[in-house]
Amino acid sequence: MPHQLAVTIRAALPAARVAEVSELLAEAGRKGVAGELFPFAEVTGVHFARLLVVPEGPGADGAAVPASVVYMGEVDAPLQAHLTDLVRKAGEGLEKVFGHCDGYPTGTASVAARTAWLRAHRIPSAAFYVNTVGRGRQQILREARLREAIEEFLDQQGAALSGAPPSRIRAAIQEYVTGRPDLAWARSRPAPPALWWRIRQKAHLLALPLAALFLLPLLLFALPAWAVLLRLHELRDVPSGERPDRRHVRELAACEDFGAQNPFTAVGSVKPGRFRRATLTAVLLVVDYGVRHFFNRGDLTGVKTIHFARWLFIDDKCRVLFASNYDGSLESYMDDFIDKVAWGLNAVFSNGRGYPRTRWLVLGGAKDELAFKSYLRCHQLPTHVWYSAYDDLTTATIDTNARIRAGLFADLGPAATRAWLALL
Amino acid sequence: MAPTLELDDIQGLLVRGYSSLKAACFLLLAVTDPPAARPALARAALRVTDGRTEPAESAVNLALTAEGLRRMGTLPPGLDGFPEEFVSGMTDPDRSRFLGDLGQDAPRHWRWGGPATPPVHVLALLYARDEPSLQRLEAELRQDLLATGGLTEVLRLATAELGDREPFGFRDGISQPLIEGLARTSRVTAARDGATADGDVVKAGEFVLGYPNEYGLLTDRPLLPDDGTGLLPREPGGTGADLGRNGSYLVFRQLHQDVQGFWGYLDDVTRRPDGTSDPAAREALAARMVGRWPGGAPLVHAPGQDDPARATDNDFGYVATDPDGLRCPLGAHIRRANPRDSLDPRPGSAESVAIGRRHRILRRGRSYGPRGGPHPPPTAADDTQGNGLHFLCLNANISRQFEFIQHTWLNNPGFNGLHDAPDPLVAPRGNHHATFTLQARPVRTRHVGLPQFVFVQGGAYFFLPGLRALRYLCTAAPRDGQR
Repeated sequence: MPHQLAVTIRAALPAARVAEVSELLAEAGRKGVAGELFPFAEVTGVHFARLLVVPEGPGADGAAVPASVVYMGEVDAPLQAHLTDLVRKAGEGLEKVFGHCDGYPTGTASVAARTAWLRAHRIPSAAFYVNTVGRGRQQILREARLREAIEEFLDQQGAALSGAPPSRIRAAIQEYVTGRPDLAWARSRPAPPALWWRIRQKAHLLALPLAALFLLPLLLFALPAWAVLLRLHELRDVPSGERPDRRHVRELAACEDFGAQNPFTAVGSVKPGRFRRATLTAVLLVVDYGVRHFFNRGDLTGVKTIHFARWLFIDDKCRVLFASNYDGSLESYMDDFIDKVAWGLNAVFSNGRGYPRTRWLVLGGAKDELAFKSYLRCHQLPTHVWYSAYDDLTTATIDTNARIRAGLFADLGPAATRAWLALL
Repeated sequence: MAPTLELDDIQGLLVRGYSSLKAACFLLLAVTDPPAARPALARAALRVTDGRTEPAESAVNLALTAEGLRRMGTLPPGLDGFPEEFVSGMTDPDRSRFLGDLGQDAPRHWRWGGPATPPVHVLALLYARDEPSLQRLEAELRQDLLATGGLTEVLRLATAELGDREPFGFRDGISQPLIEGLARTSRVTAARDGATADGDVVKAGEFVLGYPNEYGLLTDRPLLPDDGTGLLPREPGGTGADLGRNGSYLVFRQLHQDVQGFWGYLDDVTRRPDGTSDPAAREALAARMVGRWPGGAPLVHAPGQDDPARATDNDFGYVATDPDGLRCPLGAHIRRANPRDSLDPRPGSAESVAIGRRHRILRRGRSYGPRGGPHPPPTAADDTQGNGLHFLCLNANISRQFEFIQHTWLNNPGFNGLHDAPDPLVAPRGNHHATFTLQARPVRTRHVGLPQFVFVQGGAYFFLPGLRALRYLCTAAPRDGQR
């Protein structure tokens, strides 16, 4: 199975086209016809995808950065295959959106030319969280079907199997699945991501601590100064205390709560000055390391409902984009943040302008419930076009489905067999 | 140290459910002429029962919708400081989608509160010792409210005599949060084992605005730069007038219960192989959907059969006794409405219970219809038309409390690690096929294609102001540009 990639493509929109593109995306999302313009379901390996307009903002040296249109996808590797397929299947939609941007190859231009343009407009993620690294879209969809087939089999055979020992019941399920050619894939384990990729990950796992070790004297020297500076900044920074505008909240709410999952997209300005920019860069480096190597098995420091999340710098690190796909409502998502991972949110977002006051980078901040919720709402962007390949599957369900598949033909002892049956 | 609650400024319904006042009715009113409505409401406000002592004869409480507040004309029309969900209202399309009020539950089909019926601005809640007493109270209050012609009555909602069973036949109202700082809370906790009672004691600010909530913070509430009357309490640490203090938000939903459909379905799926009804199996399956037996005993403690000695047993968690749902199914109603110690990230811990405390509501509902009173469990043959629950609850933050419970726990097909199972008892089914799973060893059994048993037929979000705020709303000078 492939590893997953966060694709971000961003291009500036001419000021005269902003309203038109925004309306096009909003209209497509409102009418539920986004799938016609952007048939993501047909593009191989897409887990989630979104298109939105990021409003203009402050750039380096005070100049305004124009509004831009952004495509984000959470997709299975390799990148080239995704982009080529995207251009082939969603070419018309892409042209309507990116066609207004400088240099987008329109008309009779080749697929390769368009793909090259998209590649050239990619933005790297500073950090990318994948709920379970290596679980591809096909695997997720197949395992959901497998689970449904087994559940239906048990519903039908329940009476006949009642009183049977666990091993007999499991054997009956195995026999049933074996008899279904469409489920033949379930007999083998999903393949791991490519070897080269795993080697690269291992190298990364070692490289960062080695670099830190090498720089240790410097870090130890710098740390007290950094802490003092941090406190000075924290005392001086002014929380915005802003409550979101009602119209803005309504526009956001209109894009939410249609299925088991929701998208979240937000943009915020990094506090001015080199200190905050450097701090945020370092924090995101640590986040990136953490999510790559430790939080890659369904649990982001206690929050288990996030499918994917990414953090990226834009506009010479003047702004940060955050995007995620999560289960449940925004209210439950924000409550999870506050209750379970406030320190992590603080470490990143307290470097953003207007964030509720923190202490020592990680304390306070999000614990100011309504100030934090308002901050997120104020910075959230409407995700007008959003696609999920499995909008009725929560991370918990996906995980259970994977365990059902993994254990179905595995060599299990009596206790493990009982535990496996309890998954159903 | 818990802050002292200003019981003389808090409406009585926040403090108690008036369990000795067995008769009740709810009047829904519209403001048709604001200048005439203000003195009428001001007169009625004099009758409002505060939270100091338990009333022996009768009680009156008053609440207003967002549109009702606007119509009064005494607040800035933007209703700044009131939460978005209250201002946009329960029937806003985005809220309807969020709450699951779609299809046959959609507001356009409602008996009241929806777009097809007259608007509701004011809610008068009337409680009395018995029916004759209620009639007297109602006549007096109508005189106050309607005499000036500024208010018109939209609908009168009757309730059944207060019993301890809801229309499906189950003992209800057993588990309630206890407000920290109330004398009755200290009495209850003293009578119970302190450790287990702790989970139910909730900071006053979760229900009453103007006091610290479970985060130790004051929930956002409407503040006025200056009330000009000196009537309102001052904002603590600020200069403004606190219109929210001692108030709360009242969620009202009329929930029709299809009693015949419920028991008929259970009867069908529990028949013996020879086709005859199996009353014991029927009741057992009903109990597993609810999580308690009709008599009230929780399945966690009484898995096999009802146990009268445990009728009001509320002293249990799930993680130690029943982590896998073998006694009380993982999707049962009471596990969802109050997950107790089963919430992530560390089920079974005090931290889990603390997270749950941020999602509690004070339930103040009353049943209606012939099956609403104290009856034995009904049979499928009973006349069961027109039964249900006037669901009322109080909370300080509608999104984090009522709406969260409704969306994230009750209606969520993925609750507790399940994947296609909304609340078997109360959730709408929508387009999803609802499943009820009975966890068992070696393997579960499922009931698929569960019909819907409870239907929304009306509802609105109300603001239940403190007494001084209520007086302010009726007597302050109208804003410029308004009648």
